[in-house]
Amino acid sequence: MTELKDVSFSYAAAPEKGCIKHMDLTVPDGQFLLLTGGSGCGKSTVIRLLNGLVPHFFEGELSGDVLIDGRSVPKMELYETAAMQGTVFQNPRAQFFTVDTTGELAFGCENQGLPEEEILSRIDRTVERFRIADLMDRNIFAMSGGEKQKIACASVDTAQPPLILLDEPSANLDYASTMQLREIIKLWKAEGRTIIAAEHRLFYLWDIADRALLIRDGSIAEDWSRADMDSMTNEKLAEYGLRSIHDTDPVTIELSCSRSEVFSVKPHKKFTFPTEIPLHEITAVVGRNGAGKTTFLRHMCRSAKRSRRIFMVMQDVDHQLFTDSVLEEVLISLPDEDEEKAREILRSLDLEDYADRHPMSLSGGQKQRVAIACAAASGRDILLFDEPTSGLDYEHMQQTAQLFRQLREQGRTILVVTHDSELIEACCTDIIRLE
Amino acid sequence: MIKLDPRTKLLLLLAEAIVVLGGLGGSSAEPFKTVFMVLPFLLLFSAKKVRTAVIGGLLLGLGLAAEFIPAGHSCSIILLMCSGILTRFVPSIMMGNYVMSSTKVSEFTAAMERMHVTQKITIPMAVMFRFFPTVKEECSAIGEAMKMRDIRFGGSKVLQMAEYRLVPMMTCSVKIGEELSAAALTRGLGSPVKRTNVCRIGFHAADIVMFLLCAAALGWIIWRSVT
Repeated sequence: MTELKDVSFSYAAAPEKGCIKHMDLTVPDGQFLLLTGGSGCGKSTVIRLLNGLVPHFFEGELSGDVLIDGRSVPKMELYETAAMQGTVFQNPRAQFFTVDTTGELAFGCENQGLPEEEILSRIDRTVERFRIADLMDRNIFAMSGGEKQKIACASVDTAQPPLILLDEPSANLDYASTMQLREIIKLWKAEGRTIIAAEHRLFYLWDIADRALLIRDGSIAEDWSRADMDSMTNEKLAEYGLRSIHDTDPVTIELSCSRSEVFSVKPHKKFTFPTEIPLHEITAVVGRNGAGKTTFLRHMCRSAKRSRRIFMVMQDVDHQLFTDSVLEEVLISLPDEDEEKAREILRSLDLEDYADRHPMSLSGGQKQRVAIACAAASGRDILLFDEPTSGLDYEHMQQTAQLFRQLREQGRTILVVTHDSELIEACCTDIIRLE
Repeated sequence: MIKLDPRTKLLLLLAEAIVVLGGLGGSSAEPFKTVFMVLPFLLLFSAKKVRTAVIGGLLLGLGLAAEFIPAGHSCSIILLMCSGILTRFVPSIMMGNYVMSSTKVSEFTAAMERMHVTQKITIPMAVMFRFFPTVKEECSAIGEAMKMRDIRFGGSKVLQMAEYRLVPMMTCSVKIGEELSAAALTRGLGSPVKRTNVCRIGFHAADIVMFLLCAAALGWIIWRSVT
């Protein structure tokens, strides 16, 4: 049994964000519990309380007790907790200790000092169950996000912990990889493991979870049983600020517009990419993993380099904010530095209050908006976005959709590579499928 | 492919640093200096890192060629300096590259355990293996984003360029470093239990050859300096 007893916690670094207030929670063995809620509501903090990172790694004010099988996590050392739980984190790039996959699968068991034969047989078992023989003995740096996340799950599996924790594991995954993650979780559930997942993409977990909690401002706002979950509708969830539970594969969405004016793209040497992009529309670019979505964006950038009409916002915003203030960031994007104009753009995107903040001190959704502001400031008329909503909750996703509509009204053309069917439904006017 | 024990690789790295980078023994160590200049390239080829070996080879060749340019020219001092830096540093960097790219993290920790080095030293060093490729990945992503936003060298932005590149790189590296340690800790790193290690390491013929080579170099240098 896993319990939280009147737990309150606030981070020393940022007391307001992600804090927990007097939370009581009991999770019986074998239950699959889904934690959901907006960004910064405290759902990740619950995961960290259970794996001991709070308070041992992320320091702060803690009261109450967290128990796994009657043992207090805050009182245990991290390595003791390690034997009782396994955690899959959000960022596939930053949860590996080794560089090769086989070493990674052995890592948790090695730390527990298990005998060598035992570890090797466990690895074989996991490889067979997860069907990942083709991923063994490979360099993790050369793998896709979906493959990395599979390895992360496999390395949790080899340690065979009774409690499995997932902290937004699908945030960087496309539709197909997300569905593979779902299969792995089903496997664990069938084995009777206790699973606690913090997620805001609900569609792939909603029908297999036993119970769901809505967390708001660090407290449990709603506690839904399986029966409650079955009678839930998307409209009702939207009122709670939650994402859709319907499993819509973006590839199957139908949209079309008149395409009266188009931008022509040169044909690609290897791929047969579409050569016409409708102007003044918001076009979604969808396709399976490896269909060449990112290659298509790169190709567009390259073929229109001379005309300087295209601006691209990449998936990881941390890589594309360089300066020490939001205002400066917009200023260097403008063709000629004009502070009045920069402030006007910030005002139109609700960012004026943050003008003097350091971009890196903002939240994920705010950074995303700054990146969009830079795109708007660039003065180019075709804006490309690569997975802009992958880590965003419902509210921020809607905000992004609103921004796109605004940019379109200003006469710009938007092309967005995405696997987020809700974003497509919220704002896109045309769709391009890559085979 | 020649497979060396991580301990042998560390010894080679040390020998490389002493003979080529440090220049111990001066001109009397010349024959061994040549051997140690060529050795990293052979090892890189054996590890199929052809591109790195060719680039390094070109740089080293440039450095060696610069020595033959007649003196007396106004910039010959600068040339000589560049040549000295290239011929001293390139072989050691190549050896470092070979050691980093051909050693698995678990092999490295196993070797350190065999040498009875404490975890306090082994773990941070093991993290380095993981960290360099991460920083490289971050760096190229940032470079690409800068190109996209038309931030290039030149004009009035030369100084800012360095800042623009370093700031996101540092924040990203710190963030990833933090996430990496958090993930490793939840998986029991740092436990006082004796760690198992599933990879097998040990000395083979190639290791013995390398040991003999290093011993011979050391013996030669000592013998030449006393006589």
